[in-house]
Amino acid sequence: MQFGVFTVGDVTPDPTNGRTPSEAERIKAMVAIALKAEEVGLDVFATGEHHNPPFVPSSPTTLLGHIAARTERLVLSTSTTLITTNDPVKIAEDYAMLQHLADGRVDLMMGRGNMGPVYPWFGQDIRQGIPLAVENYALLRRLWREDVVDWQGQFRSPLQGFTSTPRPLDDVPPFVWHGSIRSAEIAEQAAYYGDGFFHNHIFWPKEHTQQMVGLYRRRFEHYGHGTADQAIVGLGGQVFMRKNSQAAVREFRPYFDNAPVYGHGPSLEDFMTETPLTVGSPQQVIERTLGFREYVGDYQRQLFLVDHAGLPLKTVLEQLDLLGEEVVPVLRKEFAALRPAHVPDAPTHASLVVAAEQQRQAS
Amino acid sequence: MTTGTLAVVTAGLSTPSSSRLLADRLTEATVAALRQQGVRAQVEVFELRQHARDLADNLVTGFPNGTLRQAVDAVAAAHGIIAVTPVFSGSYSGLFKTFFDVLDRDALTGTPVLLAATAGTARHSLVLEHAMRPLFAYLRALTVPTAVFAAPEDWGGGDGTSPALSERVQRAARELADLVAARPSALPADPFAEPTPFAQLLQGG
Repeated sequence: MQFGVFTVGDVTPDPTNGRTPSEAERIKAMVAIALKAEEVGLDVFATGEHHNPPFVPSSPTTLLGHIAARTERLVLSTSTTLITTNDPVKIAEDYAMLQHLADGRVDLMMGRGNMGPVYPWFGQDIRQGIPLAVENYALLRRLWREDVVDWQGQFRSPLQGFTSTPRPLDDVPPFVWHGSIRSAEIAEQAAYYGDGFFHNHIFWPKEHTQQMVGLYRRRFEHYGHGTADQAIVGLGGQVFMRKNSQAAVREFRPYFDNAPVYGHGPSLEDFMTETPLTVGSPQQVIERTLGFREYVGDYQRQLFLVDHAGLPLKTVLEQLDLLGEEVVPVLRKEFAALRPAHVPDAPTHASLVVAAEQQRQAS
Repeated sequence: MTTGTLAVVTAGLSTPSSSRLLADRLTEATVAALRQQGVRAQVEVFELRQHARDLADNLVTGFPNGTLRQAVDAVAAAHGIIAVTPVFSGSYSGLFKTFFDVLDRDALTGTPVLLAATAGTARHSLVLEHAMRPLFAYLRALTVPTAVFAAPEDWGGGDGTSPALSERVQRAARELADLVAARPSALPADPFAEPTPFAQLLQGG
């Protein structure tokens, strides 16, 4: 099982002192978080993609390319790549380039983006979100798998005799996850292709996660990629820890109360009941996280959100220490002990190369 | 005898409130009218005052918490709705509107709804036609022709020109009962039980 962190990349004032980091500070903090993730033994770093303030990561492959050069093991991913407003041709090129630079340590998570004005800024319409995700991804797959592509669709200018360069590393495209909170069509899309499905599993009640993962697993089996429990599932999660749970609650409360997205609404305690948020001791985080398995089954990737709402970098790095030292080693052991042998790991570049080779020999 | 569910949504703020009083009269009359048609009504009353914080939380977080979810699901699944609001600043109250704001967009499509309002003066009575009916038209609900308004004098002798409150209550209740009894109780398709096959999505939906 893979463990990691995913970041939204928001620039938010620290509510305890009113200080707002500069964009430069926030960008460098994201790099520091990724390096720390590798240092403490996590497997994955994923960055959001946004094209409006107060978010900084508009150019994920620039950020991930830089991190790739400074890490050895870490898998670099996205949370999410906007398959609706990005040109699929540019996604194919950018991520193939990143894949070469990172020696294959790359996968992507497709998402639609929910900020209305971003669509027209990129020449699209949010009401076409699902059709855009369907058509653009179908093209992206072909660009990575066929050397020369002739293509015509509804949303992008046609292509005749187009070759996306560089070709994917070892002719194996990056593994793709599809992320959605509650659009059945996206779970269906992930299942159809036998791709991974990721539920953000933060800020919302677990029922949405359960419903979407259930649908994805059922349809994964329907489309013949394996049994439902062999489908590739990833989950988010949001945690804040201190050795002592009361200290964690006391320290996190002002960040919670003023957070973008959910701040100035429910109490921290209510939100912990209603959503997977866990604020407490490492042991509490371990127990809660092991519980996710009870409603989604054995899954392959767990990403934590640890760096939003204005938390200072120093605090975030302490969270990563706790994850790496106390939480993830236990979770790795416990999840592995519970998982049946026929449930696969999340695909990596190495495993996909082996699978492609086996397929070549078989045909 | 068949069974039909009736959800009563009332946004009165005082306890007891005249909106609740009107809601109770309408409920009683509707239950009786349904019984005459061979339908046993199961009634659930939702006092929005009890969900004031839940509704504010829903605005901020984007989802109903467990308590509010029960009300939202029950109203969405009801065979008929009685919706009553006090008039605030010339319209339905913010609390009333918020409840209907957080419902799924298609939750009330085709659902029969009886509209009612209370206020401190009869001069507000057009709130029924100028504010409430357009709201439910947007939601594609099926509003019954008679909407019921109660000003202070309606709880006594009335204004001497229009039919007594009880007569208007009876007429509106009969109209609602007719629609509820006639409406097949088909639940909307569940996209999670039967997703659109991907081949169809690839063809453009």
